[in-house]
Order: sequence, then C-alpha cells, then structure tokens
Amino acid sequence: MSALLHAKDLVVAYETGRGRVQALDSLNLTVEPGETLAIVGESGSGKSTLGLAVGRLLPAVALKESGSLTLQGQEVFAAAPDALRRLRRDLLGFVFQNPMSALDPTMRVGRQVSRAAGGCGTAEMQALLVKAGLDEPERVAASYPHELSGGMAQRVVIAMAIARGPALLIADEPTASLDVSIRARVMKTLLDLQKDAGASLIVLTHDLHLAARSCQRLAVMYGGRVVEVGRSATVLSRPAHPYTRGLLAAAAGNEAPGEDLKPIPGLPPLLRQRAPDCSFAPRCPFAEARCTDLRPEARELDRREVVCHLAERVLVEASR
Amino acid sequence: MSATPVISLQQASLTYRKRGFSGGTLTAVKSVDLEIAAGETLGLVGESGSGKSSLGKLCLGLAKPSEGNVAFQGAPFPGRKALLGKLSVVLQHPEWALNPRLRCGPSVAEPLEIAKWGDAVKRSARVAELMGQVGLDPSFAERYPGELSGGQRQRVAIARALATQPEFVLFDEAVSALDVSVQAQILNLIRSLQAEQGFAALFISHDLAATRYLCNRIAVMYKGEIVEQADARRFYGQPDHPYSRALLAAIS
Repeated sequence: MSALLHAKDLVVAYETGRGRVQALDSLNLTVEPGETLAIVGESGSGKSTLGLAVGRLLPAVALKESGSLTLQGQEVFAAAPDALRRLRRDLLGFVFQNPMSALDPTMRVGRQVSRAAGGCGTAEMQALLVKAGLDEPERVAASYPHELSGGMAQRVVIAMAIARGPALLIADEPTASLDVSIRARVMKTLLDLQKDAGASLIVLTHDLHLAARSCQRLAVMYGGRVVEVGRSATVLSRPAHPYTRGLLAAAAGNEAPGEDLKPIPGLPPLLRQRAPDCSFAPRCPFAEARCTDLRPEARELDRREVVCHLAERVLVEASR
Repeated sequence: MSATPVISLQQASLTYRKRGFSGGTLTAVKSVDLEIAAGETLGLVGESGSGKSSLGKLCLGLAKPSEGNVAFQGAPFPGRKALLGKLSVVLQHPEWALNPRLRCGPSVAEPLEIAKWGDAVKRSARVAELMGQVGLDPSFAERYPGELSGGQRQRVAIARALATQPEFVLFDEAVSALDVSVQAQILNLIRSLQAEQGFAALFISHDLAATRYLCNRIAVMYKGEIVEQADARRFYGQPDHPYSRALLAAIS
C-alpha cells in the first residue's frame, strides 16, 4: 500500500448530552504522497472531525467506533502513546483557522517556532520564518502573537507546521479569518512550502473558489461521507452529485448579473446512526423512491467517484 | 430620482483620537460623499481597517462627523427619541445580537415595546407576522437562540431589525459567518424583504461576490476613502480602480 493516508469505513461518533451524533458515517478516502486535496462541505458535514481524526486529536467525547485510518501504513487509532507522539511530531503539520488561538499568547514567537522545530538555533528558526514569507524575522521572533497582524500570525503557524518537514499538512480553513486581500498570498506560501517539502496537503474549507484554485483533487463531504471525489476541474465543471451541483448554484460569484442564487433547501442532517438511505435525499431535487430506500455506495463514473444512485442523470443535466 | 435620499453624506470625515499619551489621531473616514435612496441597497466593500464600520456608524448617527455633513431624510440627525424605530442594524454574529436567555419572540418584540407600538396582543401578532416574513414558523418565537442553527438565528435577527419598519437598515457583514447554501438563502431573503418594504440599506462586506449579487450600487473603500462607486453590474466586468480589480480577482 503506497497511499499516505487511507481511511476505510471510518465511523466516528460524539457522545453528547442529547444522545449520540454520528459525525463520520463509513468514510472512505485516500491521499497519495505529494498531492493536494481540498475537502469542502457545509458546517456539520464532518470535515473538521476528519481533520482532527488524522492526528487523533478528537475531543474525549468522540469515539472511533469502527473502520480504520492509516498514515504511512500505521493504524492511527491503535498507535501506542510513544508511536502516536512520533507520528504527530514527524509526519503531521496542522494549520487551523484562527492563528491567534493556535499560538501561545505568553511566549515570544521565536521561542515557539524553535520549540516546534525541535529546539533549533536562532539562525534555523529565522530561516523558517523567512521561508514562510516573513521579511523581518528578528522583529517577528521577538514579538508576542498579539503584536502581529492576522496574516503574519498565520505565517508563523505555517512556519511551525512545516518545521519538521511533515509528510502531511492539514489546513482547516487556513485563510477564513484573514482579510480578503492577503488570502491569496498566504495560500500561495502554504502551497509553495508544501511543494518544496514534498508533503501532501489537505485543505478543509467551505470556499469552493479557494478549493478549485489551490488543490488538484476535490472531495465533497455531506452527512459524514465523501459524496464525490475527483480532480477539482472535473468535479466543478461537471458535478455528478446533486449536492455538489447545489453548492455551486448557491455560491455567490458564479452567477451572471441579474441571475438568482439558488439556495439548497432544508438543513444538513444530524445523524444518530448509520444512514440507511441517502442522507441528502430530503433536500435533493432529483430524489426518487430508491434514494430513501437504499444506501448509495461509492462508484466510478466519468473519471471521479460518486455516491449517488442518480449520478448519470445529474451529469446529463449538468452538460445541458 | 428627485426624492430626498434617506441617508446622505457630504464630505464627511471621522477622526479618532488614538489612545495613550502620544495623542495622535487616526482619520478612519476621509471626505466621503454618499447617498442612499429609499428602496436602494448600497454595497460597501473593502479590507479590514479600511473604515467600513466607521462609515456605518456615521450613517446610523452613532458617531458625529468630525468634518462635513451627514443627513437623514434631508435634515441633520434629530435626537435619539425622534429616530426611534427608524434605523436598524443586522450584525455578523446573530448569537451576539440576540439575548441567549430570552426566547426569540420577546427578542423580536423588544424594539416594538421600546417604541411603544401597540399593546401586547398586537405585538405578538406582529411577531408572528415577522417570523413568517423571514421564512420561519411562528413556533420559533417560543425557542431560545441556542436551539437554532446559524441561518435561523440570522433570520430572527433580521426579523428583530425590521420589526419597527425602519427607513434605513445597516447590514454589517451580515452573511459572512454563514455557510454557502445558507448565505444564498439570507441574501435572497434580504432582497425580497427590501422589495416589499422599500427600506434603504447599506450592506457592508468584504465579500465582493455576495455584495454585487445583492446591491444596486457598490462603493469600494480603501484607507478611509471611497475609491470607486459604480453600478453593481460593473463589478461583473472590469472595474476602474486597481483595488477593485484586486478584490474581483480574489473571487474568480
């Protein structure tokens, strides 16, 4: 098995005061070494749960119930404490949405970065900051996080994430808290560093434009499953899943002047157990009887994988 | 249109004094000319710190211009009492705009109570009507904000803002915190409510895609100044100012 990350029938559930909530519903996903993958979906689709599961960073109320998740062939949920620490330290790099909460507010930036790099010296630490696109490494290193702008702080977080040359970078909404005018530049830094390091990158986002521009592959999540995955250009130009299609029609920016946006009706589902049917069916304009009777499974269609009984019809509609 | 604009700014500037002993000043809004007519939505885009929210404060009369004039319906801002129920605002985070310990019904009725509008029976009928207008079941009046999704909460916040049938509504990043599909619902809702009620609106956002969809005209703000003001359709093509082009590039 050469895949870097491999999730097979992964089920993760949260035990909450109001009962059990299934966040990942038999999720299947593979990430190859060096590839960039965007995972898009609404809040509650399970994308952040997946991101955290890769580092086994889920909160205590979350339980991995079945399935497997392997990183370079190692079972993440079976790793002993030592092995887990090694795995997090050497293989993974995380970039979260809010850089201010990712950094320690009481420690100067320089010390945090050299710690993340395994106690490296000043020169090496400053070189990391420069690599992450920070022009004045001395000043930045001597600052506390609150003295930096959001964009600079996120660059510091990126520097820390790549410090150990990880095999896999996971970025959860890396630019959502940043100003529009600097988003593109921070994203470019992240992509450049990922390429230099030969690492794979998973970007979790709800911004379709960002996903399309920055990643080769795109996975669309809904109800704890990957409902469509393929090359970004293929999936976005000819979506085969009604949900992907709905997301595209709802996003402002694709419409012609004077045209109406078409929101997806209804709400995302709150799964209590394994979905016995297609969980998108209640909101789907294409739904038929079999959608509520039979759980769709992943299948190949037109150079992508899709989880929908009616994908052929959706494709025909899309090409019209 | 010859009617008096609801909000008009003439060469309005807003200067803040910086904190601390240095005593410097910061001009957040520089000589802005702006008019918003009834039934019109003006979009205001720009990066953080460009002065969008300060300009919003001027339009609501929450800040007095350091220079220039701000007029509401052709006259300088009257006292707070006279403005009761005529101005309204919808903010980015509905969870901060709604009292978490108050059911949604009383939250929506509160502006009516303050304006001494009708009696309790009439007010609760109005709340039910408002809930319907924003696409919620009247039973939502009995729920707490914490039981609602982000989109539903924003609908309640909009119902509350429109309760007194204001002349002017400020939407400050009103859809930025919402998911793509919900964003479209709320944008369409704002559009149809405005067509019904004809309020003037200022839609502040850093998201050009949402702004050009919703608005008739768009003003681009950069470092406190309005660098371009044009018909929204212009922003589907090639806007004039380099900063507008940079914003446009960010969404395509």
